Parts: sequence; C-alpha cells; structure tokens
Amino acid sequence: MLRSLFEFVDALPSSVAWRESLNAYVYLLTAHVVSMGVVAGIISYWDMRLAGMALKWIPVSKVQSGLFPWLYGGTAVNAGTGLLMVYSQPMRYYPNFWFWLKMGMLLVLVANAAYFHLSIEKTVEKWDNDPVAPLKARVAGYVSLAFWAGVIATGRMTAYSGLVPQWWIDLGLG
Amino acid sequence: MSLQPFFQWMQTQPFAAFFLESIWPTPIVQCIHLISVAVFAGALLIVDLRLLGRGLTSSSIPKLASAAQPWLVWSFVALIVSGIPQMMSTALKEYYSPFFWWKMEMVFLGAIVTFVVRKRIASKEEGHFGPVWPKVVGMTSIALWTSVTIGARLIGLLS
Repeated sequence: MLRSLFEFVDALPSSVAWRESLNAYVYLLTAHVVSMGVVAGIISYWDMRLAGMALKWIPVSKVQSGLFPWLYGGTAVNAGTGLLMVYSQPMRYYPNFWFWLKMGMLLVLVANAAYFHLSIEKTVEKWDNDPVAPLKARVAGYVSLAFWAGVIATGRMTAYSGLVPQWWIDLGLG
Repeated sequence: MSLQPFFQWMQTQPFAAFFLESIWPTPIVQCIHLISVAVFAGALLIVDLRLLGRGLTSSSIPKLASAAQPWLVWSFVALIVSGIPQMMSTALKEYYSPFFWWKMEMVFLGAIVTFVVRKRIASKEEGHFGPVWPKVVGMTSIALWTSVTIGARLIGLLS
C-alpha cells in the first residue's frame, strides 16, 4: 500500500517537474540543511533547559516563549523542503533504509513532544523557576536531544543508500 | 604562490587514502560534522537573536553569551577536527571548487566577527554600545554563518 502511494506520487506531473528541474534539488537541500541548523540548534537549548544542562537561571516558560516562534518558523521551512524533496523523488526515498529510520526517529520525537505537552507541561508553574526540572521533564529533554542527533545522522546517511544491513537488502524494496 | 601543490600533497597522504578507501569513516565523520553544525548554530543563534532584541529577552546579554561560549567554542573545534579528514580526502576537488574558497572566506570572516567583535559587544550590558551596533553585529553573524552553510552544501552538490 505504501509502495503504491509512493509510485502514485512519482507519476504525478508536478513530481516529475520538480524531479527534472535543474536547480530545484540544489535549492531544496541547501534550504533543508540551513533550516536544520535553526531547528536543531534552537530545540537543543530548549531540551538542555529541560535536562538541566543550560539556561538554568531562565524560567522554563520564558525559554519556551522566547525560542518557540523561531522554532516554528524553522520547522515550517525544514519540513516543507523535506516534504518537497520526497515529493520530487519518492522512489529514491522509498527503498532507503536511512530515510525510514529517520522517519521512525521523527515519530518518537513527535510522541515525546506530545507527551510533554499533554502531561508534564501541565504542572510547569510548580517548577518553572527550578534550575533543575522534575525527572519526567529531564527525561523528555534527554530523549529529544538523543533522537535529534539521530535524525541529523540518519538524514546525512540517506546519501549512503548502499550502506545498509543485509536484512534490509533482502526485503527487495528497490 | 599557488596552494595547488599543498592540496595535492594532502590528498596523497596515507590518512587521506584511509578515508577514501574505507567504507564507514567518511559517513561517520560527516554525521559528527553535521551534529556539530547544529550545536554551533544553537549557541550562535540564541546570542545573535538576543543582540537583535529577540529570543531569550528575559536574560541579560552577557550572561547568555558567557553560557553559550563553551558550546560555541567546542562545537567549532569539533567542526574543524571533523572537517579536516573530509577536506584532505577530497583535497583537489576542494581546491578547484569556488564554493570551498567561498566557504573558507566566510569561515574566516565569521570567526573574526563571532570570536572577536561579537564577544566584545556581548560582554557589555544592553545599551552600552547603543541600539544599533548589537543589531548590526547579530545580523552580520547570522548572515556570515548562513553563507558558510550554503557554501558547504554547494561543494557537495555543484563541484
């Protein structure tokens, strides 16, 4: 089913147009890397505040309100360029082990952020000024730091589509 | 004096050959380089945004800059250390790439602005240098390091 979706997108005229453009991939990848620096760089300070590693004198809510508008802007560019790269070359990414590992890590990050937002953040007034946040918040920070590093690494590894485990090759997705 | 013989010499070193002929060292070093980019970008941006009057405005500029400085310095060291093997193993490609020289010029200017000019500006409380200079320095810093990233990406894509 997933393969059919990727093949469907691959055949769309707009996907073909992006794919055959001489400069589109260059612009997209360059913008993706620059916005990655903004997103990962800024979110690392949010995570480090939660983990008790940095900015301990600034209330958690102030770190959030000061950094998140920039994070949202960077994420819009980063996700937009990433989606367009996949849209323009779906059958290049479909069999790529590192691409799917990166998507899996992004899912963990989304779940981690949702858990923080829906559960831990509800009590933030109680520990807003604490230099070290409660254990659950610290764990959320460490998980986010580790998985963001993983997303960056697997994103870079997407270019090495041949350096994959044998069991993945045996799936015969390519 | 041409630097071409030096770049040719770099590429013929056993260290460069090791990176070219082995499978995993190059991608691993590239991943470390990219993670260092993110750490460097974060440490840079929180101070540059603050100089622009944005971001973490509840903190003073000197306190924020001094907290970010170790992350900035050590990620810059990691960038250089992880960049050297990549440059050595493809030295001649880099030598003939206009984007490599663009990147190196921007790194040179960026390092002066960040580690000399901005460090001085960010060491004083808001208002000490007037309302304009901190903003000019913050914008210059962001522009220079964005240019470094664009140049770096274009070496791989267009050289």
